[in-house]
Amino acid sequence: MKNVRFFAVLFAVLCLAALPAAGQKTPVLKIGINAEITGDIPKVGEATKYAAQMYVEDVNKAGGIEVGGKKYRLELAIEDNEAKAESAAKAATKLITVDEVIAIVGPQASKQAVPAGEVCNNYKTPMISGWSTNPNTTKDRPYVFRACFLDDFQGPALSIFASQEYKFTKAAVLYDVASDYPKGIAEFFKKDWEKRNGPGSVVAYESFTTKDTDFSSQLTKIINSGADFLFTPQYYNEVPLIVQQAKQLGWKKPILGSDSWASDELVKLCGKDCFGHFFVSHYASAGAKGATKEFIDRYKAKYGSIPDDVAALTWDAIGLIGAAIRNAGKLTGDIKKDREAVRNALAKTKDYPGITGTISFPPGSGDPIKCANIVKINDKGEFEFYKSVCP
Amino acid sequence: MNRRNGGTDGGIRARAAARLTRGIPLLAWLLGALLAAILESWFGRELADLLDLPRVPVLFGFEYALNKPQLIPATLAFLLLVYGVPLVLGARLLRAPANAIARALADRAPAVSVLVHLALVYAVLHLWTDLSDYRLIVVKITLIAVMLTLSLNVVNGYMGEFSCSHPGFMALGAYAGSLVTIVGFTKSQMFGPPLLPPALGPYLFPLALVIGGAVAAVGALAVAIPSFRTRGDYLAIISLAFTFIVKSLIENLEAVGGPRGLRGQPDWANLPVVFACTVLCVGVINQFVRSIYGLALNAVRDNEMAAEAMTINTRRTKMIAFLFAAFWAGVAGVLFAHVLRYVNPGTFGLQQLAEVLAMMYFGGLNSVVGSIVGAVSINLVSEMLRPLEIWKWVFIPLLLILVMIFRPTGLIAFREFDPLALVRPRDGGGGRGTPRGEGR
Repeated sequence: MKNVRFFAVLFAVLCLAALPAAGQKTPVLKIGINAEITGDIPKVGEATKYAAQMYVEDVNKAGGIEVGGKKYRLELAIEDNEAKAESAAKAATKLITVDEVIAIVGPQASKQAVPAGEVCNNYKTPMISGWSTNPNTTKDRPYVFRACFLDDFQGPALSIFASQEYKFTKAAVLYDVASDYPKGIAEFFKKDWEKRNGPGSVVAYESFTTKDTDFSSQLTKIINSGADFLFTPQYYNEVPLIVQQAKQLGWKKPILGSDSWASDELVKLCGKDCFGHFFVSHYASAGAKGATKEFIDRYKAKYGSIPDDVAALTWDAIGLIGAAIRNAGKLTGDIKKDREAVRNALAKTKDYPGITGTISFPPGSGDPIKCANIVKINDKGEFEFYKSVCP
Repeated sequence: MNRRNGGTDGGIRARAAARLTRGIPLLAWLLGALLAAILESWFGRELADLLDLPRVPVLFGFEYALNKPQLIPATLAFLLLVYGVPLVLGARLLRAPANAIARALADRAPAVSVLVHLALVYAVLHLWTDLSDYRLIVVKITLIAVMLTLSLNVVNGYMGEFSCSHPGFMALGAYAGSLVTIVGFTKSQMFGPPLLPPALGPYLFPLALVIGGAVAAVGALAVAIPSFRTRGDYLAIISLAFTFIVKSLIENLEAVGGPRGLRGQPDWANLPVVFACTVLCVGVINQFVRSIYGLALNAVRDNEMAAEAMTINTRRTKMIAFLFAAFWAGVAGVLFAHVLRYVNPGTFGLQQLAEVLAMMYFGGLNSVVGSIVGAVSINLVSEMLRPLEIWKWVFIPLLLILVMIFRPTGLIAFREFDPLALVRPRDGGGGRGTPRGEGR
């Protein structure tokens, strides 16, 4: 019996302690963050979290977000998707059904963003990925958006840049045939370049396989082909090898790259050999002006590092959601109707002044129309904004 | 504090707990759980409001305990009122009738008894997941993990080899099954209009599951033929190579989407389907390992030469077990693809392998119950500790290390799982279930 009494007392204490401490009720809107905080790309998750937190702090410091004459405080619900597809789907389900968020930012990587997009679309909850470039993420999904441009746009952007800026006519391409991203961009580039400069204008189209480290035979062919420039849409760890070997073999013409070049590691690994080359990027930290510079400075002051493209794209993604909430007209308090209103406002976004470019969503698509930034690696090894190229 | 005193206290409490639960058959526990689930679905929201919780705790209140410590008392009260009290009281009050029913069933038709218990488990899961779709997806993924872990245990536990090819089998199953359903029953951009009327689809889904399993088994043959000429480390290396081969094969097959993955699987992997597959998988594997094949497998593991001398065809035994395990991994893969409705070769890499291995070694080698416990606990713990973010990956490995130190073969290793013993009455009376397997 002693036990029974003990449990009864314990229970009573629990119930008493559970009595509500009546809190003030300011209307709150929740935005979900579905990020790769652990797993193999934790930096991506960290940048996502930091940028989103900075945005929400800003909004709340200004008294909240105003919709239809009423102010709402923003709150983040952050979930870790462990960089796993099934975990991203679970996190999205949790954010939607348990946390009842109005919209979700992320996941960033396509492996997570495609299944999470499926969940969000099924539950009619607006989702916007900052970084995912897989067409499947947004295809046929009216509730899923992205803030970055797609791979099929990077190729043409570079081809426009090379033809207009330098009047080049002969291109060489070196890419990894075993990796989805370089292969896709290389194909898009080739198609666009040949459309502009006629068939046969890609004079060398050489490939290698992931983890190859010796490119001399491909580079020799490229040099002998008489190309005006080399395009290599490789990752930052492979680019230095290619650039250095090309230089040793006597290549002196420009080398162009894709957004996969954008890492501080690139310059560390490559040193002076990479100076003066160009790549497409979502944004450039050096030489930034206006709102972009302000964002970079504040981020650096707050978190002690220069924001990378994930942070910048997340900032724009959550900014797009914030703008959509503002433009949603009036919130009813019924989360399903509110999500619908936010999604409709988001789909109508036109000329949103983001720090990675001006963003508009064309009717019926979650892929933005925006300009690509061409970035030059300057003499100090910084990524300097060079030119904006619009399709 | 006096140590002896503490010991006595603990003893009293343990004895009290034993007295409280003595003689309660599984049937009564399940009825208690059902009661709890019904209570939650009827009064959960009202009670949560009453206790000033923002909503019904989804996964036993961990999201509150870790995020908002001030809600811990209310959460505990909720858990006690909704789960604890109905479960224990219901089980205790229903003890006598449940024992009677269990005995009647066990005496006349043991198989029916097992089915009744399974139906109750399903009812509890159904009610519990009905309240929140988040629970639903967690339960589905957990059940799939159970299938995977169990099928890996056949090779790594019962057969005693170290196979690393499970992600590969899962990938083969996932892609094969997805192709069957996408090409056969859906209109997709990649493969055009459906070959068969989509209305037939849900009925033919089992076919997709079997095809997925079969393709995985054929893949297993490719590992088995060269590698079973060797033992030990070699199989580990060959099977690891197999996982990588499958991954890069799919990455280079543009026809199935390459590294971009395959999307658009129909939404047929609902809870009844996943539950039925898991039950079938557990049942069949349990029968397999308790059959003459399972015993032969253990003999091969313990001493291959002695087994050979005892007229066991070791090569054939190993082959059968390996293909069998691969089949179930393939089925799990099909379900996985249809729960997420997207597959990507990147999913089936080393991380997946590490997870399945962890679940298996955590739960226990050579044990069906162990695999279930391992998969369920790792999945649930991982889900409940979600708010901890990076610290979760300190806590879970720590848990694994502790288990490996104190129970080197896993929590519940080398134990036979006898469903008939599990469902027999507990009040001393007979029932035909064999008593072995309990208390060992």
